[in-house]
Amino acid sequence: MIEIENLHVRFNSDKGEVHAVRGVTVNVAQGEFYTLLGPSGCGKTTTLRCLAGLESPSDGRIIIGETVVHDSNKGISVPTFRRDLAMVFQSYAIWPHLTVFENVAFPLREMKPKVHESEIERRVKNALELVQLSGYESRPAPFLSGGQQQRLALARAIVREASVVLFDEPLSNLDAKLRAETRLELRNLVKRLGMTALYVTHDQTEALTMADRVAIMRDGMIVQEATPTEIYKRPISRFVASFIGQCNFADGEIMQAATSGAHGLIATEWGNLAYSANGRSVGEKISVAVRPENVRLADDTTAPDMPRIAGEVSEIIFLGEALECKVTLGGSELITRLHPSSAVAVGDTVDVVVMADDVAILAA
Amino acid sequence: MNNSFSGSPEGVGEKRHRGLRNIVARIFPWAILLLVFAMVAAPVFSLVVGAFSQSRLPNEFSIDNMGLDNFYAVWVEQRIDLVLWNTAVYVVGATVFGIGTAAVLAWLVERSDMPGKMWIYAGVPLGIAVPGILHAIAWVLLLSPRSGFVNRGWMFLTGADGPLFNVYSMGGLIFAEGLRLVPVAFLMLVPLMRSMDPSLEEAAAVSGASPLRTTRRVTFALLLPGVLAISIFQAITAIENFEVPGILGMPVNLHVFSTRVFNLIENIGAIPAFGQANAAAVFYLAIALVISVFYLRLVRHSERYTIITGKGYTPRSVRLGGWRYPAFGLALLFLFVTIALPFLVLLYVSLVGYLRQPSWEAFQSFSLKHYETVFRQPRVGRVMWNTIALTLMTSTAVTVLSFVVAYIVVRTRFAARYTLDVMAFMPHSIPGIVLGLALFWLLIQFDALTGASTFGSLYSLVIGFTILFLAYAVRAMSVAMIQVHPDLEDAAKLCGAPPWRVALRIFAPLLMPTLVGIWIYVAMLSVRFISLPLILSQGGNNEVLGVMIWSLWNNGNINSVGAIGIMLMTAMFGLVLALRIFGFGRATGGGSV
Repeated sequence: MIEIENLHVRFNSDKGEVHAVRGVTVNVAQGEFYTLLGPSGCGKTTTLRCLAGLESPSDGRIIIGETVVHDSNKGISVPTFRRDLAMVFQSYAIWPHLTVFENVAFPLREMKPKVHESEIERRVKNALELVQLSGYESRPAPFLSGGQQQRLALARAIVREASVVLFDEPLSNLDAKLRAETRLELRNLVKRLGMTALYVTHDQTEALTMADRVAIMRDGMIVQEATPTEIYKRPISRFVASFIGQCNFADGEIMQAATSGAHGLIATEWGNLAYSANGRSVGEKISVAVRPENVRLADDTTAPDMPRIAGEVSEIIFLGEALECKVTLGGSELITRLHPSSAVAVGDTVDVVVMADDVAILAA
Repeated sequence: MNNSFSGSPEGVGEKRHRGLRNIVARIFPWAILLLVFAMVAAPVFSLVVGAFSQSRLPNEFSIDNMGLDNFYAVWVEQRIDLVLWNTAVYVVGATVFGIGTAAVLAWLVERSDMPGKMWIYAGVPLGIAVPGILHAIAWVLLLSPRSGFVNRGWMFLTGADGPLFNVYSMGGLIFAEGLRLVPVAFLMLVPLMRSMDPSLEEAAAVSGASPLRTTRRVTFALLLPGVLAISIFQAITAIENFEVPGILGMPVNLHVFSTRVFNLIENIGAIPAFGQANAAAVFYLAIALVISVFYLRLVRHSERYTIITGKGYTPRSVRLGGWRYPAFGLALLFLFVTIALPFLVLLYVSLVGYLRQPSWEAFQSFSLKHYETVFRQPRVGRVMWNTIALTLMTSTAVTVLSFVVAYIVVRTRFAARYTLDVMAFMPHSIPGIVLGLALFWLLIQFDALTGASTFGSLYSLVIGFTILFLAYAVRAMSVAMIQVHPDLEDAAKLCGAPPWRVALRIFAPLLMPTLVGIWIYVAMLSVRFISLPLILSQGGNNEVLGVMIWSLWNNGNINSVGAIGIMLMTAMFGLVLALRIFGFGRATGGGSV
């Protein structure tokens, strides 16, 4: 549905030329919820704005549906208002001089051929109902709360029934609780209406909970693209692993290569770890990443075939839903996340176990 | 009082001292309210009473000789309805022309990719430095039908026997006053255009609206309320203006309200009709009041239109393409016409031997003799001194009073603070001529009652100017004070600083640019304004520069006007420069973007 091929954007700023987007390629299937995730300044919003035609790429090709909307080589550039898409802005961009009804009706009134007034009314009512803003039709738009404005922006985006909807950090101006509720509502709505969505955010929770596929961007390039589960479990670099959630990192060396039947063994600064991924040979220098919740404190019955590492609990932080323990292993440290009812205390001597499947080997 | 944590017993003397301070603190705001009320109400009262007086002169005023004759005379004999019509055409014309020009300039500077934006942005406000009277005089020298340089040149070059443009006309009034409105309108329009979130326009594009439709349905629609408010503000300025209609309209009996009121008491060869002037001034004041109230209502209900702002705008400018340089040329032409041209014309007049068309011979006759003549007159020294004294006193009085009023309105829980705020805004709607006339009556009666001699003194001008400029200063001061977050002061208090230390170390430094800005701006206004001093001027004691220029011009002493005008404008440019360097921080005076 959306194809972006080798997109480059260069800006001229006060500090000279900025190469904001460096060869981004994205393919989004019909009905897919695709998320661009990255820290601020990574080029994700610029990519989105190129898709909308609000920014002009220096190089590359963009296809929406069947239409080539931009092709730098052929000099094609379809202006924004002729592109078949809708967009939700970070600032919502609700027009303050129009009522709620007129804000939503705006895209319909711009349609050609003209949409009949009764049809406009029906579709606006429908859209407002979907975002639970029925009854607010005649209210001036600035008299809405932040959450209501956000939903109004959403109604305006869906009323047009465009084939692609773009989201530019639409939840970043909401408070935490509202954001959590809206995340699911928004995903469900998009899925129910069968829209193709491109969603830009810097919030990893949003990316993980909402997206079908996530692309992590850094310095104008996509560093990893996968499903949320895959990206969480198998990050390919320290950047990706630490950007999504908390992680323990260590350098290591393969001591025993894994085969299809048996685990391999890695020597790290923590101690020896088992691993299961194929394709590594003995002596190779690598990095490993282990999520805190996968670091277990072992009792006698825990996974007897996994190597154990002895250590001492040096710090405990109570987080409410979990306990975060710092375990000192000789000269290094591991952070582990435990159930809050776990009976551990600072100074306890413990054995630490990590399952082979939970060890992610990074491209060193 | 009851929040002493130290536990040390307080002395009785200490308590009495605090009690006294409490009483003063409680009475002080009421005293200020009373003062501001008196400043507005007393002149207006004497104006209205004077309008009913049928005595020939103000000092013959008697309560027994009252009636409606003046109103009848003004309405029926003097045909004030014609003046009303003229005023309407003049105000609407000048506002539309001025705002239109300012809007184009502001748009070019803020929203287009015109080259040399910084120059235009810095240059347009310089127009404030050209006093209205000199601005009007310069246009007469250029465009008067028989002797204007441009008209003469036109007739010489084309052989036409009529002038290109007669500045002594309604068209001339609108043109000259419209240009004069541009600098302030520009300064008000620029932030309006800057504060608009570009994503509002982008949202329209994404919704399928073409650029033209976006401009019409979103950009214009959003700017309209703000532009309307600024237009009405400028219309009040135009309606109050005396200098331009006084120079361009009065000589050909083309009257607007301000000149008509003046004309009724200062008409050469006619008996001054003070009562009738008052009656006309009451109409005049009523109209100005209605427009001001309308303006206040409009501004107060503006929250509906406040533009929702997101963070971090990407400044996006419209590409002008081939129009970039023509647009820049047009903006430069504007700067030349409003700032350089008046200066050059007056410079020429001040240097040339006797007044004639610019020519090689004329340039050869250049000398500084007119400057010498001016300086040899003892009158000039006295007038200079008066002007400087007036400016210093007015600026200081207005700055101090507006600080106190704004502090009470913004920072205290004084019960009548809203009343005080409205009261302080009232003088904004009193035209200078009207206040001059009102003070004329008031001070004569005051002197008769008390034996003082305020009438004809420099202090009468200080009082008048303080009343006139208070509204502007309080507005600017309140805005600045609101921006100083109360937490900043509370934090200082918690660090153990007593109130006066808080004022000195927190409030004063944060507000300093505003205080300086208001001081300089009021100083400029005091030099520029001539309507009020014209009425209150009684010879040497309180004659100021503007009044002297007026009388020199009316006596045909054009070369001297040029010489004084050049010196005055140089001083004003210095003040504008000081204003931009020291005043208002970056809020209104700083560089663009």
